Amino acid sequence: MSRGLLLFKDIDTPGLTGIETYRKLGGYESLAGTLGHKTPDECIEIVKSSGLRGRGGAGFPTGLKWSFVPKNSPKAKYIVCNADESEPGTFKDRELMVLNPHLLIEGMILAGYAIGANAGYIYFRGEFAYVQAIMDKGIAEARAAGLVGDNVFGSGFKFELYTHLGAGAYICGEETALLSSLEGFRGQPRLKPPFPAVEGLYACPTVVNNVETIMNVPHILKNGGAWYKQWGTDKSSGTKVLSVSGPVKRPGNYEIPLGLPLRTLIESPEYCGGMRDGLKVKGVIPGGSSVPVLPASLLDTGLDYESMNSAGTFLGSGGVIVIDDQTCMVDALWNLIRFYRHESCGKCTPCREGTYWMGEILERIEKGEGRDGDIDLLLDVANNIFGKSFCALGDAAAMPVQGMLKHFREEFEYHVKHKRCMVNRRRNAVMEVGA
Amino acid sequence: MSMVKVTIDGRTIEVPAGTLITDAAKMVDVHVPIFCSHSKLPPLGACRICVVEVGTPRMGPDRKPVLGPDGSPEIAWMPKVQTGCTTPVTDGMHVKTASETATQARKGVMEFLLVNHPLDCPVCDEGGECQLQDLAFAFGQDFSRMEQNKRTFESEDLGPIVKKEANRCIVCMRCVRYCDQVMGEDALTAHQRGAHTEISSFNRQPLDCEQCGNCVEVCPVGALTALPYRFKARPWDLRQHITICPHCSNGCSVRLGVRGMEVLRARGTENRGVNQEFLCVRGRFGHDFVNSAERLSAPLVRQGGSLQPATYAEAIAQAATRLRDIAAAHGPGSIAFLGGEKLNLEEQYLFQKLARAVLGTNNVDARTRYTSNVSGDAILRATGGGRPALTFGGLVNAQEVLVLFDDLQGESPYAQALAIRGQHQRGLHLTVAHPRRVKLARPKFKSDWLGVAPGAELALVHSLTKCALDQAVPAHLPAEVAWGLDALTQSLAAWTPERITRETGIPAASVAAAASRLLKAERKAVLFGRAVAEHPQAAALLQAIENLGWATGALSADQSSVLYSGPQSNSQGALDAGLTPDFLPGYVSLADAAGRETFEKSWGCTLDGHAGMSASEILQAAGDGRIKALWIVGDHWLRSAPDAALAAKALAAAELVIVNELFLTETARAAHVVFPVAAFAEKEGTVVNCERRAQKANRALSPRRGTRPDWEVFQLVAQSLGADWRYRTAEDVFREIARLLPMWNGASWATLLPNGAVWDGMRAVASLGYTEPEARPAGEGMWLLSGGTLFAQGSMSAHCDSLAKLAKNARVFVGNAEAGRLGVRAGDTLELEGPAGTVSLPVEIDDSVPPNAVFVPYAYAEAGINRLGMPKGAGLRVKVRKFATAARAGA
Amino acid sequence: MSHAPIMPTEAPAVLEWPDNVKPEVAEAISHYPVKRSAVLPLLWIAQRTWGWCPPAALQLVARTAELPEPEVFGVATFYTMFNLQPVGRHHLQVCMTLSCSLMGADRLFKHLEHKLGIGHGETTADGRFTLRRVECLAACGGGPCMQVGLDYYEDLDLPKVDAILEKLK
Ligand SMILES: Cc1cc2nc3c(=O)[nH]c(=O)nc-3n(C[C@H](O)[C@H](O)[C@H](O)COP(=O)(O)O)c2cc1C
Ligand code: SF4
Ligand code: FES
Repeated sequence: MSRGLLLFKDIDTPGLTGIETYRKLGGYESLAGTLGHKTPDECIEIVKSSGLRGRGGAGFPTGLKWSFVPKNSPKAKYIVCNADESEPGTFKDRELMVLNPHLLIEGMILAGYAIGANAGYIYFRGEFAYVQAIMDKGIAEARAAGLVGDNVFGSGFKFELYTHLGAGAYICGEETALLSSLEGFRGQPRLKPPFPAVEGLYACPTVVNNVETIMNVPHILKNGGAWYKQWGTDKSSGTKVLSVSGPVKRPGNYEIPLGLPLRTLIESPEYCGGMRDGLKVKGVIPGGSSVPVLPASLLDTGLDYESMNSAGTFLGSGGVIVIDDQTCMVDALWNLIRFYRHESCGKCTPCREGTYWMGEILERIEKGEGRDGDIDLLLDVANNIFGKSFCALGDAAAMPVQGMLKHFREEFEYHVKHKRCMVNRRRNAVMEVGA
Repeated sequence: MSMVKVTIDGRTIEVPAGTLITDAAKMVDVHVPIFCSHSKLPPLGACRICVVEVGTPRMGPDRKPVLGPDGSPEIAWMPKVQTGCTTPVTDGMHVKTASETATQARKGVMEFLLVNHPLDCPVCDEGGECQLQDLAFAFGQDFSRMEQNKRTFESEDLGPIVKKEANRCIVCMRCVRYCDQVMGEDALTAHQRGAHTEISSFNRQPLDCEQCGNCVEVCPVGALTALPYRFKARPWDLRQHITICPHCSNGCSVRLGVRGMEVLRARGTENRGVNQEFLCVRGRFGHDFVNSAERLSAPLVRQGGSLQPATYAEAIAQAATRLRDIAAAHGPGSIAFLGGEKLNLEEQYLFQKLARAVLGTNNVDARTRYTSNVSGDAILRATGGGRPALTFGGLVNAQEVLVLFDDLQGESPYAQALAIRGQHQRGLHLTVAHPRRVKLARPKFKSDWLGVAPGAELALVHSLTKCALDQAVPAHLPAEVAWGLDALTQSLAAWTPERITRETGIPAASVAAAASRLLKAERKAVLFGRAVAEHPQAAALLQAIENLGWATGALSADQSSVLYSGPQSNSQGALDAGLTPDFLPGYVSLADAAGRETFEKSWGCTLDGHAGMSASEILQAAGDGRIKALWIVGDHWLRSAPDAALAAKALAAAELVIVNELFLTETARAAHVVFPVAAFAEKEGTVVNCERRAQKANRALSPRRGTRPDWEVFQLVAQSLGADWRYRTAEDVFREIARLLPMWNGASWATLLPNGAVWDGMRAVASLGYTEPEARPAGEGMWLLSGGTLFAQGSMSAHCDSLAKLAKNARVFVGNAEAGRLGVRAGDTLELEGPAGTVSLPVEIDDSVPPNAVFVPYAYAEAGINRLGMPKGAGLRVKVRKFATAARAGA
Repeated sequence: MSHAPIMPTEAPAVLEWPDNVKPEVAEAISHYPVKRSAVLPLLWIAQRTWGWCPPAALQLVARTAELPEPEVFGVATFYTMFNLQPVGRHHLQVCMTLSCSLMGADRLFKHLEHKLGIGHGETTADGRFTLRRVECLAACGGGPCMQVGLDYYEDLDLPKVDAILEKLK
């Protein structure tokens, strides 16, 4: 049985990581059909017409991003694949790369061709050293087959592809921080504008795209934009890989047509098959830990960019974290804020100090030392971070707080007042300050 | 530049496109607070205190602004607040800095900044001048909502200068960025991340850097403070006076903090002076000599064999009588005046006026370290003959900079900082010609290093000129220059690529490439200084540099991009003021009868039209007994004269030696009359820096008891000799200078404040000429390289605690390989034997020193390298050997 | 935070790349148009070579990438995966972020602490294990999970962890 529609369709084919099998299944046909047959501009137009939007979190239209690369810049251009997969709750890129490395390689070559880049980098989070090894092997195979190097497919197009391993920093998933890190600096975000498309890696025009985004490219260029629109909704076309975690029966990656109701994903036997151990859904964080939580009452919301926005949250990176009714939301939020406090890069004031402060407040509430006014203070601190930080990490730390307090405020109030959880918890919280 | 209209808090102005909101706001007197932003650094946008609301005209489908009901463009306000320090204004932009949203956001940021900030203002050195404190007052609230568990770090000393109190740090990164982008040191870094971000060095080791303390200066809070000033005073207890640093010819403004009669600290000042907040280690920590207990506090007069304290009246009378007697007995030509490069312009002027107009001698020379005769206008010619010259502002924006033979780190620290900032931020490229791989020649600055063979300096300049002429015929030459071009081209014909490579030790292609870069750059600069002026072939070198200037376009009919930085703070003033044997003030040649007349009229005397003796001639003549009286000011001649033995002989032979000094130096000990004088901070006057910028130096405290400014001493002696001098203040002297010298016409002390005035227009006649370099002696021995270093031990710095500590003792530097060959390791002793004497010094290994050479900075006065003998021709070679007997080490 | 240096200071004065890793170093540098980009790869190589990154290794990386030493120090401390102190033979990194926590990571970690007798950031006396809490490993669907060296272990429970420890000598 196929696990998905497009990217996951053949993914469990034995031997797919090898170039032979990949080619047997039609791999690199898109590349062959593009180089020497379509101009770079035509490629960009096709991607535009597909409605493909960035799968890394922000959902920015991919073709449009590509078109921002200056056409007649004398500088080198770069395509960079964001394989940092650092957003908690998200684990799709890892599986995609481990099972189908050549799809990413093909996508990188094509994206490079479309924007005029002769070199590409794949940036992995540090923990993905073994994924890097798999990709390196794939690249070596592609190079041996004449698909990477001075003369791709004999078309005269030159394309070098390298991998680069980070070393433990969530912020390096943010595209400008990723570029700083790739250049050998501390992984801190840079000022925008100039945007990477104009001044990115080594101050040269650069496109940064997520793994999943890039993996869609060979399919789209092969089959056309209209074909891709067979899935999804009007404004959110195509498929999306959602990573589901938490106490569902079958956690894992599912490739769905955009727009599928969240409830279907969680409850349908085709997907997660409902909750384990008789637990009930209390809330779902639908797009990676950074987006506001949805209460169970909103489970019927569609999994597409627009519907999620109307429900007050985001599709984000597609990391669906299902929270059960035996989990204390204070504990859950304290857990998340520990993450952001640990990962704040320290560059800007609101994020650096605000995440620290939110942690202090949550810790004392969680320990039963909360005071009157703490909840308003917490919300106030989150609001003071939101929209004022240097990069989106600050927002990412503020939104979980805003979301939790919007939908589950009574649990926090109960905690302050009664110095214990409102729910009967299954698990013991770790009280110490996070790692 | 295109202009755009922007409306800030309701006030509309036009500003150049690209102006940042914070800067535009200043123009309409709206204060947007900043922390991380700094005028010398690119915007960072990290602290977020400058957040404002920004809106731009809403555009219709026709790409024209949509008009509102009142006919003015509708403004689309951005959903989020923006940082004013990073956002350039665009046409029609509206900015609200004080709206509810902006104020709320700023309050939030302010609160965040204080979340982990300690409440230790009462014991913080920054208290009272802390930007965070000020802003907390203006924008913060009077209670804290963060009560527990502040994140804490321990304090640490990062070496002898910088004290770090990390709890106070707001991570604005100014220090790290300034250290990297302006100082080129990279000694500081941020480590860890998030709330645990901490500014420190490599693994918290002492800072390995120039110790300039600029990190302390740019820190907006008290996270970095200066150990030498720690707990000494509160800012409101200090009187602050801005004056000019006495340590080098860059002429930085220093703000002295004075309490009682003590100078407690020195700081730069934003928006003031050529340097603004920048100071080098000497400028920032080189002021405590003023407070030194060892200062002379009464005149000394030799009686019998020894110097005895005397009153000023006695000393003046003694000096005047003896001078008059010697002039009468041996003629005015038996009197010579030496030194004065550190004096103020007014003092320099009076010193030579005393010599020429009162005593009748032209034997005056401030250039006591020169080893050869150089005409009084030679430097003016080499730098374009008085054409409008390159300023520091031009230097930082230059595309190509050629540094000739000076290590700017020791000689021109501010110029070095500008070159580094230019390299980092503005596309400046450096070519450094120096036998040693000095700081600016390190790969980090992406410079090209011309590692010239010692003694081949003249050969290299000729080679560069030759290569430039090969590549292009210089255009727009003034007639007098163009006239000599053919002859020069012929003289240079012998400089074939083979010869260039052979004689300079640099591949001819590299020389040609350097010439080509200079030639092609639209904005360029050639920098030279002491290494040229004090070279034994200085006259020929200066001429060759002039040739190079014309050949590469660094000199043109109406502009000069050649900059000379003299060895002392007012070397330029000494030339301007006529403290040279052959020129009157304002570069009027003594041979020029009409020019002479102006001075004769004004001074009421007749002037001898013959040039006097230069310092090196005086050295010889005094030793031979032809000069009977020597007046030495502001110079420790025994240490600074190029030949110590000759200087000692001269001092011993002279019938009268008068010395103006701060301290009882060896030179002063050899005198018959010693005048204790006021230090730079204790007097006012004019100082001319290497840009030829005259700046007013102010008085920060009154002269130490028992001392007088030099000019008063000169006036008292003149009066005692019967001259009708009636200057009430140094300003009176400047008025006379401004009246007599065309370059200062119309200037007054008032017009010199605050940023001074650069003079030009004194056209010295330009010319081309050629001198064949003298052969480089071969054979036994190693080259003795000398030059400036940052951590000096001159007579001023030796009396400054921090500087003395940093300078350590006198040393000889050798490369690793040579050390191996000589069989020495760091700390061993090497004996250098020159034609006139021997010197032993401890060894320090330094790979910037080329093979077959040793380096002894002349900043280490006590090294006494002038005991080795006077460098001649291409330079000095010395025999070098390991010093075997420990007993004599360090002699 | 202590006043003490972040890292031990008495490590060997000067380190050089062993001959067998030199090709790897050259290869890493060749991937980028500027040398400084190779800082992370070089730090990784150093960590593989010496088991951790002693100060002399950071200095070696600085020399190799032609960077100021403080800058390399700043980079190395920014990231969490460079060991600036020696670690045990097996570096147990247990994910504690929300998804894993929902699935019992906290209990798992307590169990490890108890069983090994060490806390977060500590190393067993025999130098066999170092235990560390880490943030999300991108294996949330397989929570609770941990990474040992480069290897991922997912869907853990207490017996599975015990079995893993058994195997790691
Ligand atoms: C704090 C932060 C972390 C991020 N982490 C990731 C990540 O791990 N992977 C990713 O693809 N994008 C991540 N992003 C989004 C990237 O900045 C960028 O939008 C994305 O890589 C663009 O690719 P796309 O257009 O293909 O989505 C992150 C953004 C932020 C602000
Ligand atoms: S100044 Fe700034 S805003 Fe701007 S961020 Fe810093 S400090 Fe600002
Ligand atoms: S939350 Fe544990 S791996 Fe993602």
